Amino acid sequence: MTIPHDPAAPATPRVPILELRGISKRFTGVQALDDVSFELHEGEVHMLLGENGAGKSTLMKVLCGAHTADAGEFFHRGEPVVIGGPADAQRLGIAVIFQEFTLVPYLSVAQNIFLGREPRGRLPGLVDHARMRREAQVIMDQLGMTLRPDTVVATLGVAQQQMVEIAKALSQQARIVVLDEPTAALSDNETEKLFAMIETLKRQGVAMVYISHRMAEVFSMGDRITVLRDGKKVGFRMPGETAPDELVSLMVGRKVDMSYSRTYCAAPGELALRLQGVSARSGIQDVSLEVRAGEIVGLAGLVGSGRTEVARAIFGADPIAAGRIEIFGRPQTGGPTQARRLGAALIPESRKAQGLALIRSVGENLVLASLPRLFPSGLFSPSKAAAQARELITRLRIATPGPDRRVGVLSGGNQQKVVIGKWLSAEAKLFIFDEPTRGIDVGAKAEIFSLIDALVRKGAAVLMISSELSEIVNVCDRTYVMREGRVAGELARDAMSEEAILTLGMHHA
Amino acid sequence: MKTPTLSSPAGASAQNASGLQGLWQALPDPVRSVAFRLLALGLLCLALSLASDAFLTTTNIVNVLRQAALLFLLASGVTLVILTAGLDLSVGANVAMSACLAATLMKATGSITLAVFAGLGCGLLIGIANGLLITLLRLPPFIATYGMLWILHGVTYWFMKGETIHGFPPAFRAIGSGHWLGIPIPVYLMVAFLFIGVLFAQRTRWGQEIYAVGANPEAARLSGVPVKSRLVLVYAVSGAMAGLASLIFLARLNSAEGDIGEALTLPAIAAVLIGGTSLFGGVGSVFGTLVGALILTLVLNGMNLLAISSNWQPVVTGVIVVLAVFLDNLTRKGDRK
Amino acid sequence: MHEMTVRAEPVAGVGKLIARLKHAGSASGALMMLIVLCAVFAFSTENFLDGANLVNVAVQSTILLLLALPMTLIIMTEGLDLSMGAVLTLANVVLATVAVNTGGVSLALLAALGVGLAFGLVNGTLVSRLGIPPFVATLGTLGAAQGLALVVTDGQSVVGIPASVQMFYSGAFLGVPAPIWIAGIAYAAFHGVLYHTRFGANVFALGGNREALTLAGVRTRLYLVAVYVIGGLMAGLAALLLTARISSGHPTAALGMEFDAIAAVAVGGTSFEKGKGWLLGTLIGVLAVGVLRNGLNLMGVTSAVQVSAIGLLVILALMIDAFRGKQS
Repeated sequence: MTIPHDPAAPATPRVPILELRGISKRFTGVQALDDVSFELHEGEVHMLLGENGAGKSTLMKVLCGAHTADAGEFFHRGEPVVIGGPADAQRLGIAVIFQEFTLVPYLSVAQNIFLGREPRGRLPGLVDHARMRREAQVIMDQLGMTLRPDTVVATLGVAQQQMVEIAKALSQQARIVVLDEPTAALSDNETEKLFAMIETLKRQGVAMVYISHRMAEVFSMGDRITVLRDGKKVGFRMPGETAPDELVSLMVGRKVDMSYSRTYCAAPGELALRLQGVSARSGIQDVSLEVRAGEIVGLAGLVGSGRTEVARAIFGADPIAAGRIEIFGRPQTGGPTQARRLGAALIPESRKAQGLALIRSVGENLVLASLPRLFPSGLFSPSKAAAQARELITRLRIATPGPDRRVGVLSGGNQQKVVIGKWLSAEAKLFIFDEPTRGIDVGAKAEIFSLIDALVRKGAAVLMISSELSEIVNVCDRTYVMREGRVAGELARDAMSEEAILTLGMHHA
Repeated sequence: MKTPTLSSPAGASAQNASGLQGLWQALPDPVRSVAFRLLALGLLCLALSLASDAFLTTTNIVNVLRQAALLFLLASGVTLVILTAGLDLSVGANVAMSACLAATLMKATGSITLAVFAGLGCGLLIGIANGLLITLLRLPPFIATYGMLWILHGVTYWFMKGETIHGFPPAFRAIGSGHWLGIPIPVYLMVAFLFIGVLFAQRTRWGQEIYAVGANPEAARLSGVPVKSRLVLVYAVSGAMAGLASLIFLARLNSAEGDIGEALTLPAIAAVLIGGTSLFGGVGSVFGTLVGALILTLVLNGMNLLAISSNWQPVVTGVIVVLAVFLDNLTRKGDRK
Repeated sequence: MHEMTVRAEPVAGVGKLIARLKHAGSASGALMMLIVLCAVFAFSTENFLDGANLVNVAVQSTILLLLALPMTLIIMTEGLDLSMGAVLTLANVVLATVAVNTGGVSLALLAALGVGLAFGLVNGTLVSRLGIPPFVATLGTLGAAQGLALVVTDGQSVVGIPASVQMFYSGAFLGVPAPIWIAGIAYAAFHGVLYHTRFGANVFALGGNREALTLAGVRTRLYLVAVYVIGGLMAGLAALLLTARISSGHPTAALGMEFDAIAAVAVGGTSFEKGKGWLLGTLIGVLAVGVLRNGLNLMGVTSAVQVSAIGLLVILALMIDAFRGKQS
């Protein structure tokens, strides 16, 4: 196979620093990686794309030795090698920066960088703290970090912690660094610093595998692109020879129309939600907004701009410090129990951690929010609950053989439908969606959106948070844009565009 | 398009298995786990009847049932607590305090009614206090109830001043040592509370909410379940049941001193865990606790019949608890993420 | 911005020490509580501030310190050892029995350490290898140790402890009582290990982010077992002081002492999650518990009630912590 290479690079084909041939990995019942072959060159940023479940995280874990491949070979600079465990990966200079950080909160930056490899002191077992600090400082200077090596990691913000992770990788002489959605939780400033760091690493010849869902990054930072789908490698492209649509269809397996068309709301109905000057310790300040029946109102903004905090404040999940919240004209001053009673529903950001009891059945989850309504006397009837569950399963087309299946084994899209179904059963009229299609494959996304559309057509009101600007632009009747905890502006239907939202959401720059 | 999932689907192989095996696999998990335990109970009875002639006598069986009843009553409340992924380490000390309070009142006023109300009320209040410590002060349950244990221990000793109270009216003693139709009163209470307990846990919406809180408290909260209220409820019930148990215990022993009942905590928790309720919450049943109480009581009874020193009883109980948790872990490891 | 893990420099310069304490958040709460307790008892009793009494408090606190030091480590790994009191009791009766039969210290101490080692291994294995939650595992071993103590002694006390054992409590070296030497060396050893060795950093990591440690290629299970083994060994060592102090081996000698140890650690600011630990805080906590017991003793309050007071102290300490927003 000829390797398409960057015209600016030397004409002689280089030996890749790392090559995977035919790597396969199976877990019970699932082929997570299927004959994946992949080459990585020094100094390149190799973008790895794929939907959730495509095999990206399994590939990462195989690379760092957390899992061992069932079949296939690894080659390091042309020499066959074995990655049987973390030690092997470390020796090959492979480091993975996971989204869940591997930092110990109450140790210092220096201690974290050298965890497990602390420089020895005079007596066996002792640690030479001075030397550790010095060496940590050296690495941190190389990366342009301004922290002190003694700082306790627990006091650092997410972006800084990520930099400590990268410093940790470098300290291990990593020549191959895998980054898992590194900009997911970063602000614009921090993202720029990260990109600068990546450029530094490139110049040093470090090879990087960069996993991302953001097309902008893929095309601006990527040197080469590999696409995974269902554990197989389905595409390899150079950024200059392809476009986002093609990549998406590679990821999905079919041509996908990325516009979710719907009939926009012509005449909004009663006032379902009103916020006036709401502030909370969670960081939101003086937030005012309205949502009416029949509308899908978007809540856009960068990660960290306070959108989830607004959603939680509305639902009573977090207390507010100032301001007024009214749901269908009635004041919301309590917690989620009151919000539910007023007709509100929250479909949270993390459905597994916040939306579902994974070990309970589909049916049990579906009726959880409507227990008082279905069983006002207190007596619970399993048959009535099952009937209600079956009705919702049919109505929402939830793919499960029956209400007794444990909800944890359903796919992401179906799990999300259970969460929505839970609130349909509670006869909610105001739905707050926080990233409703996160981690859901494109096929199921369309279904979720048509569900949401059906809700508002029947007279419900929807407030939708999404980080996918195309979703906001296509689905919402209008949108608010948040920036740093405040509402930066509101865009009506005809003013809504991805550029307009981005402009409002970013600093004046 | 199907997103591959990594957890093994429950009962997925049911379609392929045939006949009896298929039937077994199609049963829901809770039924299966109780069936296992009933089998263990049966085998235990068999073993004991073979090991000792004295086992299958009426006296012994009645004795076992009476002891199991007391244990079950105490453990039934603890079951609800553990279902919420909590723990109540204070039940034994609760029994001690409630019993001593009831005893003191009975001696001082001669009124059984007052003593009964006092015992139940004391247990209930302690339970509510535990619940408040956990929900308002956000103390982890094992710390809150562990601290409460020692506080109660101290208070009980303080007002008992090291003395023993004994000699209660026969009408009271009947609660613990009386019979009706040849069956001890506590056993009737056991059956009654078995029904009440199963009804509450499986057939009321509060029971469903309690299971949900144990399975994922945050998801329950965000579904509008009043989590804090339910937590206080389960600890209150645990406390009230301790109050009830203390009266029975008091009636049977016919005496009260500072440390009475404190040794009941470990067996109560053991009964719940042996019965299949998971420490991680969300899984388990009151009926399972009954089976667990019977199993534990039988084991200890067997030790007595075989003339093994009672000093070994806490050792054996401890070992059984550890075993039960270990087996629970093995089967449930893959379920939690 | 507090830097709690920067180890406290040796007490060369008390001012520096106090400054560090001020910065160390919750530990200053513990120190305040200690001072308040001292003040309360100084006012309400006659003898509290006596030199002899204060020395007494210090000496009596040494046994607790020997338990609280490893308990700090165990709690930092998000664990708990409820069996420490019972193991100490068992070690006490074993040590006493062996000492009475051999007339000397060495074998007796070895036996006690052996008991501690055995239970530490069991606890550690249950928790790390079998994945049993620590409080259940140690609740089980608590029962086992308690039962075994009764079995070994048949419910009777063991008397006739030789003087060679007793002097470990009543003796003195260079004017400082022997127990204080032992406790001091133990503290120094723990301090050195926790803040200056790889082992110590790993203990922080075990509670703070266990996966990080595994990914770094460290055998976490081994370290987890080690932490409980250390607990058992310290219980064995503490048995020496205990036997010397009560001049006997008694099957219920130290039952419940783990509560004092846990209380001391909690009051001292070590958190029950996330691998946050502070050894000096534990020392302060031990002194606080010791002062509380001593003061209440002087006021004629019985031991059982003292325990209630300790319970309240812990709740108070945790409430203060919660108020300061330390716990989320």
